[in-house]
Order: sequence, then C-alpha cells, then structure tokens
Amino acid sequence: MDQPSSSGYSYPPFWSYPPYFTLQPVKDTRERQSGLWGQLILDYCRKHKIYVINTGAEFPPFHNPAINRRLQHSAIIAFLDDLVSQGNAEWLDKHKRQCLVLWRKVSDWADTIYNFVRTYGLTDSVMVVDDLSSGDDVAGTDLAGLDRTLLLRALKLLESRGKARLFKGDTPEEEGVKFFG
Amino acid sequence: MRRRPGVSGIQDAARAREQYRSVGNEVRKSNLEAMHEQMAVFKDKLEEFAMNHRAEIRKDPAFRAQFHAMCANIGVDPLASNKGLWAKTLGLGDFYYELGVQIIEACWVTRAANGGLMDVRSLLRMVNKRRGKLAEEVSLDDVERSIKKLKALGGGFELVRIGGSKYARSVPGELNMDKNQVLGVAQIAGGFVAASELERNLRWTPIRVQEVLQGLLAEGLAMVDDQAPEGERLYWFPCLSSGMHEEQ
Repeated sequence: MDQPSSSGYSYPPFWSYPPYFTLQPVKDTRERQSGLWGQLILDYCRKHKIYVINTGAEFPPFHNPAINRRLQHSAIIAFLDDLVSQGNAEWLDKHKRQCLVLWRKVSDWADTIYNFVRTYGLTDSVMVVDDLSSGDDVAGTDLAGLDRTLLLRALKLLESRGKARLFKGDTPEEEGVKFFG
Repeated sequence: MRRRPGVSGIQDAARAREQYRSVGNEVRKSNLEAMHEQMAVFKDKLEEFAMNHRAEIRKDPAFRAQFHAMCANIGVDPLASNKGLWAKTLGLGDFYYELGVQIIEACWVTRAANGGLMDVRSLLRMVNKRRGKLAEEVSLDDVERSIKKLKALGGGFELVRIGGSKYARSVPGELNMDKNQVLGVAQIAGGFVAASELERNLRWTPIRVQEVLQGLLAEGLAMVDDQAPEGERLYWFPCLSSGMHEEQ
C-alpha cells in the first residue's frame, strides 16, 4: 500500500484512500482525519527538511495523482490550524498563506544549536547568525539549511536563557550572535 | 340383553390397564436407558477421538473446523464451559479465550478507521499477524466461532453479513436493514456509492437515501468524497476497503 517517493519517503495507507482528501463533515471522523494528516505533514517535512508550507502552492503530499485527488484548500487550512493549536506549527501571516512547520520544537533547535557551538568551541566569540545555518561548519549537520525564522526564534530562546546574546546589524547579513559557555 | 358389569369384570379391566402401564413403562425405560447408553458410548468415542487427535485439533485449523462441525451435529459444544471435560482434555477453551482477546484488540485498534465494522478476512489476517509465526494458525472458522462467543459478553460483538461477505461488528447498536442494503450496494461497486445510484438501485426516495447515508456518516462507517470525476458526492465505506486500514 505504501508508495515510496524518490527520497524513500513512504506515504501512509490513508493517502491512497480518496475521502481523506475531502474535509469530513462528522466531528469524530474529521478529528481522526486531521490527526493522520498532521502526522503526515510533520513526517514529510522532517524527512525533506521543509520548514515552511505555502498554502497556495503545490506541496506533494497534498496531491495524489494516482487516485486523482487534491487536498481541499479548506482542509489544508483546517489541518494546519490543528497543528498550530498543538504547538507543532505557526502561521507566519494572518492570511494563512505561509505556515512554519515545527517538526522539531524551537527548544530542541535551541539545544541543537547550543550543542553545536560548544562542540566546535565557538563560545565567547561573535558569529554571523546566518553562518549557523549556511556556514561551512554546519554543512552536513542538522543545522544546514535551517529556516531563518526558526533560527532566530531558537537564538532568542537561548538569549532568554542567558546562553547567548544577539547583535543587530544594518542588514540581516550583519546580524551577529555571541554564545556564553 | 346387555350384560351389566360385575365386580370381577371391573377388577379384570383394572388389572389389565395396570399391566399395560407397567409394560409401557418398562419399554420406555429401556428405550431411554438404551439411548443414554448409546449417547454415553458416543460421547466416550468422541472424547477418545478428541484425545487421540488432540494435537491435530489444536494445530490444524481445517481439522478443527471439521471437529466442531461433528460436535455440533450431536449437540455437543466443546466451548460451552472452560471447566468442562472438553475444555480440559483439549485446552480449546483457552485457545478461544486467547483468540477472543486478540479479536477484541484488533477491532479496537481499527475501530476509529472503520467505524467498528471489519471484514472478517482482514480481521483474520491481523490476528494471525499479531499471533506471530510460532502460534497455531487460526482459520476463518475459528474467528467466526470466536465472534459468536464474544456476543455473549455484550459490548456489541456480532457477526454481520453484508452482500457476500461477513463482518465483525464491534460497537453496540443495530445495523438495520437499510444500512445493510446501502453497504451491500457499495460493496459491489468497490467500496463507495453515490446517492443517485442508491435511489436507482434500491428504488428509494431521496429522503430515505439521505437519512441512511447521514446515519452511516454519524456512526463513523462512511466518509464523504467531493472530488469524484463525475462531480457527485461519493460515500466511501472504510470497512469495505479491506487492507486499507489494517495497519493504522
């Protein structure tokens, strides 16, 4: 039943069952449907390191050509809303066009960053923020390609814990951060 | 002139009646005794048979089904009581209790997905998978037998026939004729149906069709699909798409 995609991701069986692409009118059924989709979205994004879903654009899990079904827009919004209320996602705009998917919690990202910095002995010196997601040092680690919104949110969390301090720059590229050991 | 009954005549008649009765009783008694005797022999033979083939009965699902059929023919239920000689000699009671628990588990796990109606074949696959390769393999007959036994517990366990297949129903509440007929039509169509098709097929009024479909939706037995190529809303029944929901 599972349909492996190019990256080795296997869709769950429900993804091949047409009614799951229509928002269900009965509450219990809809809640179950939302739970399954929420899990699918988190798993897919984790596997493909996707941080932001654009609700107006094509997103592979929302379309199954084999059964000719597309997840309804109202359903996409409803399921992402549920992820947001569970703390697993955040809307980036009030029109719900962009959704930040937190397949790893902000606090976990903060821990990952802090562990990375300590492992590489980068504490007590000022770093360029963007180097934490695209620098040579992070290549091959979980941090490579980390969404900027998420990166900044994690850094602010570390700042609130007294483990880092952010420095504003004139441009985003000049924003810096200093970690304390 | 008619002869009037004398004292001795009356006594004769009474004596004769008494003799008839006692002979009749004798015959009845010996018949009954003979039958008891035959039954006892039969039962002994059956027990002997059961003991001799104990291993096969436990291991071979087909053999077990035949044994059950044989017992049913002579009015013996090996599962009637776990304390009975039958259960003791065969250990069948434990076998079916265990199977019963596994069936309940499987029904529970899939209930959210199928609304508490599960194809017995899917159920069989799931139970055998759950039991693992080392346990005795279970047959469809065993599963159906077990569900019938579970019915006694209440809780709504029941074997339901829809179209040509049997389903395990694990939620209380009657699956009425109308719902059953809708499921039957959908089964033939491949697990889904449109309202207009039901109106045509069953010659029902649109109101009746809607009422039954809404009921099936509310029970979690149906899901709607608004993206059919023909445009009309389709009603899908997860319990009819076996395999689709087993692993969830």
